[in-house]
Amino acid sequence: MAYAAGDNNTDSFGDVISRHLSERLKLLLVYAILIIATVQTIYPLFWMVFGSLKTDADLFNNVWGPPRVMVWQNYIDAWRIADLGARIGNSIIITALSLTVLLIVSSIAAYTLARLQFPGRQAIFLIILATMMIPPEVTVIPLFIVVRTLGILNSRFGLVFVYAGTSMAFSIFLLRGFFMSIPPELEDAALVDGANRLQVFWHIIMPLARPGLATVAIFQGMFFWNEFFLAFIFIRQAELQTIPLGLVNFFYRYSADWTLYFAALSMVTIPVIILYVAMQRWFIEGLTAGAVKS
Amino acid sequence: MTSTRASEAAVPLAGRRTVPRVYRHLSAYLMLLPAVVLLVIFVIIPIGYGFYLSFHRWDGFNEPVFIGTRNYIRLIERDDIFLKAVSNTIIFAISVVLVKNLLGLFLALLVNQKIRGVIFFRTALFLPVTLSFVVIGLLWSWVYNPAFGLLNAGLELLGLDNLVRPWLSDPATALGAIITVDIWKWTGFHMVLFLAGLQAIPRDLYEVAIIDGANAWTRLRRITLPLLAPVTFISVLLSLNGAFVRNFELVFVMTDGGPNHTTEVVLTHLVTQAFRFGKLGYASAMGFALFLVVAVIAFTYIRIGRSGTYNF
Repeated sequence: MAYAAGDNNTDSFGDVISRHLSERLKLLLVYAILIIATVQTIYPLFWMVFGSLKTDADLFNNVWGPPRVMVWQNYIDAWRIADLGARIGNSIIITALSLTVLLIVSSIAAYTLARLQFPGRQAIFLIILATMMIPPEVTVIPLFIVVRTLGILNSRFGLVFVYAGTSMAFSIFLLRGFFMSIPPELEDAALVDGANRLQVFWHIIMPLARPGLATVAIFQGMFFWNEFFLAFIFIRQAELQTIPLGLVNFFYRYSADWTLYFAALSMVTIPVIILYVAMQRWFIEGLTAGAVKS
Repeated sequence: MTSTRASEAAVPLAGRRTVPRVYRHLSAYLMLLPAVVLLVIFVIIPIGYGFYLSFHRWDGFNEPVFIGTRNYIRLIERDDIFLKAVSNTIIFAISVVLVKNLLGLFLALLVNQKIRGVIFFRTALFLPVTLSFVVIGLLWSWVYNPAFGLLNAGLELLGLDNLVRPWLSDPATALGAIITVDIWKWTGFHMVLFLAGLQAIPRDLYEVAIIDGANAWTRLRRITLPLLAPVTFISVLLSLNGAFVRNFELVFVMTDGGPNHTTEVVLTHLVTQAFRFGKLGYASAMGFALFLVVAVIAFTYIRIGRSGTYNF
């Protein structure tokens, strides 16, 4: 609107009107495209919720619309048959433990690399930088052997250490950047007063680095919560399965209970969507900043 | 760098106590130890060990048998499914990188105008990023379902009955259908990246250009795109890095490589060979080949980026 080309002084009345119209038309087109993009993004999710409340007949005959009768029983059955309670519990435990290990270990290492001088500092940082770009998928076979040798196959702890280990380089890199942006004068004062490095780190740096820690927590927390590939390789026992594994398992076991699948998928997806919408600014900033910093 | 030195210098200057150099370095190494141990065990050893295994025949239980480069030779000369998987992986990677970035940029340009509801559009379009590949893969395999799927029903509604087909079991459309889902998941992410870049471009540049008589197309080419280069670099790098490996979940959930390997990617083939047929050495060779591809792309790209406009 503000950037219409041309020199206003010499415009005739007709020109102004037609430009105004074409601006209007352009705006309409922009909205049309954005609305189409939005509908095709969120309609499948509404459709999933609709399907979760339908009867089987309704699902097949009334594909597009909302359910004619609400079948809440789908949720009860899906919860029970898919054993969602146990899967959600596993996902919470594994995500929380992985994040705890990752955040503690990587923040101490990142602080060391950001602030301390010691022989080999540059070499260690370069190794971290190099391994950061290597996704764990390409080393999955040897990783499987390592995990088996350590005797932590089929264990929640095993998966926690695999997650923490394979996300370590990225997390250190990200936090190192945050630590370096904190002015060192603050620590110098505390060091002069006789505090040691760990005290400085815990009492001065960590509170200041909260935005950085939040970014890692959202970015990696999301990743651990949603992760399937590594969990699929390292967890084979049904009672240890996370949500993504449980869904796939459920889906392959009961091949005709479509409305129950819709209900199971809705149950694990709706809380994530609500959390996302409630904290969308945090999510969008955390996920994009996390990615960009890498 | 300079700030770090200042911080280190402060300790001896203050002269509070004389800490032996070794001790100070020891504490640095101790603080790094847990991270280094985890990195070595779960990242560095697997890379080296994978390289070692790729020259062996191994079922995972008996002694590995050294067979030189036979695994690699077999991959290229005798494994048609692998070659199909490689070509599918490349098609997947190129399509998603191109379309995600172009579509993301396009939507960002639209949202960046002075219009109402920017936050709403941004929130809605970013939503799929937060959902797992498994959730999205299952949901979309139902959207494509010939019996109750949203897509065919929609096409019938629009009178496009001749387009109706079993999208995931038709060899002609299966791979494209999966690629579309990956694009669907990530476009909002790239839109947000580009949007942040667009909003950082100073408004007065455009105003000056308008006074000079530059039209919208010229402004896009001469101002927007050059100033967006660092963001474009990051955006393409992010999509490229995942494009070769973040395809297992969707393929596994939606088609499991079928019909007749038309959607097989390197990772699904690798997992089948390793965990269904117990060919761990052979699968390691595949993994190492994939590792080389990812590593070469990442390093080339970063070199180009460093020599160009963007600096880490």
